[in-house]
Amino acid sequence: MAHVSIPMYWRTIPQRYKMIGQKCKKCGSVNFPPKGVCKYCNESSDFEDIGLSGKGTVHTFVMIGAGGAPPEFVEQEKAGGSYPVAIVELEEGPKVIGQIADADPKQVGIGMKVSTELRKVYNEEGVIRYGFKFVPD
Amino acid sequence: MPNALNRAIRRSIALYEIGKAGVSLICHQSERSFRCTLGADALVPNGYIRELLFRHLSAQASTTRVVRDSGDESALELAPVYGNEGMNMKKVAIVGAGQSRYGDFPEKGIKELFFEAYKDMVESVDKGMDPKRIGAAYVGNLGSGGFQLGNMSALVSEFVGLPYIHTVRVENACASGGYAIISAIMDVMSGAHDVVIAGGVEKMTDVSGTKQKYWLGVSGDTEFERLAGTTFAGLYALIAHRHMHQFGTKREHLSMVAVKNHKNGAQNPKAQFQREITLDKAIKSPPVAYPLNLFDCCSTTDGASSVLVCDAEIAKEFTDTPVFVAGFGTSSDYLAIHDRPETVTLEGTKRASKKAYDMAGLGPGGIDLAEVHDCFTIAELLAYEDLGFCEKGKAGQFIEDGRSQIDGDMPVNASGGLKSKGHPIGSTGTGQAYEMFNQLRGTVQKPTRQVKGAETGLVHNVGGSGGTVAVSILRR
Amino acid sequence: MAVGISGYGVAVPRLRVKKEEYAKAWGSFRAAGVKEKAVMGFDEDVLTMAAKVSRRALSSVPISADRITRFAFASTSAPYGEKLLSGTIITNIGAPSDAFVSDHTTSSRAGTEAVIAGMEHLRSNPEGCTVVSAADAPKASMWKSIEHGLGAGAAGFVLSKENLIAEIEGHASFACEHFGERFKSNSEDLIQDLEVRKFAQSSFVGATTKAATNLMTSLKSKPDDYAHIVIQQPDARMPATIAKKLGFDPEKLVKGSVVSEMGDIGAASTLVGLAAALDSAQMGEKILVVSYGSGAASDAISLKVVGERRASPSVRTEIERKEYIDYIQYLKLKGAIR
Repeated sequence: MAHVSIPMYWRTIPQRYKMIGQKCKKCGSVNFPPKGVCKYCNESSDFEDIGLSGKGTVHTFVMIGAGGAPPEFVEQEKAGGSYPVAIVELEEGPKVIGQIADADPKQVGIGMKVSTELRKVYNEEGVIRYGFKFVPD
Repeated sequence: MPNALNRAIRRSIALYEIGKAGVSLICHQSERSFRCTLGADALVPNGYIRELLFRHLSAQASTTRVVRDSGDESALELAPVYGNEGMNMKKVAIVGAGQSRYGDFPEKGIKELFFEAYKDMVESVDKGMDPKRIGAAYVGNLGSGGFQLGNMSALVSEFVGLPYIHTVRVENACASGGYAIISAIMDVMSGAHDVVIAGGVEKMTDVSGTKQKYWLGVSGDTEFERLAGTTFAGLYALIAHRHMHQFGTKREHLSMVAVKNHKNGAQNPKAQFQREITLDKAIKSPPVAYPLNLFDCCSTTDGASSVLVCDAEIAKEFTDTPVFVAGFGTSSDYLAIHDRPETVTLEGTKRASKKAYDMAGLGPGGIDLAEVHDCFTIAELLAYEDLGFCEKGKAGQFIEDGRSQIDGDMPVNASGGLKSKGHPIGSTGTGQAYEMFNQLRGTVQKPTRQVKGAETGLVHNVGGSGGTVAVSILRR
Repeated sequence: MAVGISGYGVAVPRLRVKKEEYAKAWGSFRAAGVKEKAVMGFDEDVLTMAAKVSRRALSSVPISADRITRFAFASTSAPYGEKLLSGTIITNIGAPSDAFVSDHTTSSRAGTEAVIAGMEHLRSNPEGCTVVSAADAPKASMWKSIEHGLGAGAAGFVLSKENLIAEIEGHASFACEHFGERFKSNSEDLIQDLEVRKFAQSSFVGATTKAATNLMTSLKSKPDDYAHIVIQQPDARMPATIAKKLGFDPEKLVKGSVVSEMGDIGAASTLVGLAAALDSAQMGEKILVVSYGSGAASDAISLKVVGERRASPSVRTEIERKEYIDYIQYLKLKGAIR
């Protein structure tokens, strides 16, 4: 079962709460989420942690509708209606997937400028899991 | 396809590849090497051609060797060296194949489904086969909803009367079956066993809707993709939307894939959905994850399939019309789509197929038909491009022009594909091989979907959203 | 050197439900003077709102998050009964882990409680920096009339001795034993109101007027000295009653009144009101803030505007960014349909 345990989730708090990425000391590229070896040069694992701005541009997106949501998000879809999920190209370079919150679906488009905000991602075993989502910038 | 035409296509591909670098030269590709002669007007830095050819060749083979070298690059011949060259690897044949019906079968579990496919395979061996000759079984399976994650291949093997063999459960998500075949091929190549089963089985309709989503969500990047609120439909929709944005692919093009595959599946007595659909119905079906709607997505399916792989030298003991393994290749990719440089390309498909083409000594032009992984309609469009059947971005036109229809110049998914035949995850790859075995021998159950005169076929199996890809090329 | 507000930020969730929706569903709407109210989205709670306003407050001042030495969070709608709430927020905003943090969660007066606690810290740590964040979205049974007015909103403040917008001149409080008015039992997360109206009102009016009077007495100030007064806003009628009793012109309530468009926002009520007043206050003007929490206590804080730096976005901008939902959607988002 694809269940993300509480410790597993906790280990990603730097990314989910604070957008901490890795700057490769060899090629200078920024990895987010983190890798063991830089995904750009595939050579170095010598990184410096950097806080990303969270600002970026929508590269592509999908509207998750009825039947398209994973079980953790079924209630969200039912209560709040279909929700957009996007791959966003961050201004520091890497692309990352995330929900777009607080936007009129008609307003969401490829090329739209977004920034990050802390939101409830889902709730499991009575524990609220917070993390970044994108909002219109 | 006549060999002369085949060769001409291969040559033009080589010219194209080299031509991309902006170098004017005359280039010939023989069966196993590239020979280049610089044009009189070519002005290139010293060592450039060597570098270029080296890069081109080493992308497809383990090393490159120099066949002839004039010293000044005016005449240079390099050849790829494949991993198995000079190692006395055995050639491999397929001599039998079986498949259960695909669908939902409350009365059958994985053992019964696997047995149904196994019996069908044994009966398909023209001259008969003593099961005692089977030395190994590679069984593709994603876990059947968690019912038997550990030792499941031993369970299904002993159930069909094959205790005491070498058996392994092969798991690479939806590409489990494709990898089971390649594991079986490599086993036979190595000489470890001479008769081996590559099978696959999945029981998907036993689990509740919620549990099924928990289970099926295991094959993408769980930490970020799934927790962004996406299932596989969502991930493929992200690719589809970008493809539409970047290349002008239309929503109708997606639906055309569904219509074609349902048309083919209607002619397949073992398919889950044996009915045609109209383009209008496909376009207007309810949205699941915009831009994908219900008819862009494959269903959940119970089913099993099995192929009998053996040393080509003993193939004639089983049949006069074996199918040979001409080439195979696999490639993994970044699991999460956002980690990939290109959203609209399954790099795993490109690399796996390149390895398979090179091993078979042909290009996409040498393929007569293909069974590709169409878990979602966009996946089939991506396959056209990434397998090299058409240029990147032109898949919409390819389906619109009817080229992948059974009577087109590159029939794709004559079986109905995952879309109509069904997608019992672990069985999908071996099920594709079952179809190809019958297509190449002219033995498909209904002649209406038989591709006439097919000699060489490609099977393409994708795990998740492209994290793993297996490609095999079969030839009669 | 004086202690005061260096920066502030506000947030109003984007969704709104109109009083007409209630009238349709229940035949009447029981929150005096409330036209519509703000509703959190499915993925928002008081911690996400508090994180947002803390970030906004910090971005309005030239003070970086790593200088924070004190953080205080206020709400009556905490998502947990036991667990540090501030931890979520300070991690998100990048405050140091050695900052002293506190959660103030049992009273609609918690907003001013947090401000006073945060301010006291600066007296003993003159180089320190306090962030106070109040976010609330109270919940009650849909069957109770007290539910009609309940809204959502948040405000955050950076308190320090540098770059002041408003100086805190002083504060005073009043506390006593009272019961049977608005309360929340330990066994559920819905607020109760036994509707002993006059009894409850006497506590509200009594505590607030005493705290405000105590403060004005100690500061030797009088109603005429204040350009604005911000009073706890469970509805629009209560602050008017109290202002009148204190001898304030009701016009002075206008700039800091948010209840008619946001609803009753509990512990965030006076701080969002203060932010709204700061959005338009002139240099030299004084603001009196008076909170109330059942059980019962009131805090009064006197401020003087010493800078005209405004927060972005303003309370007005946030109030005007909205999307209406119907009552059924409201019930789903409030978790009232199980």
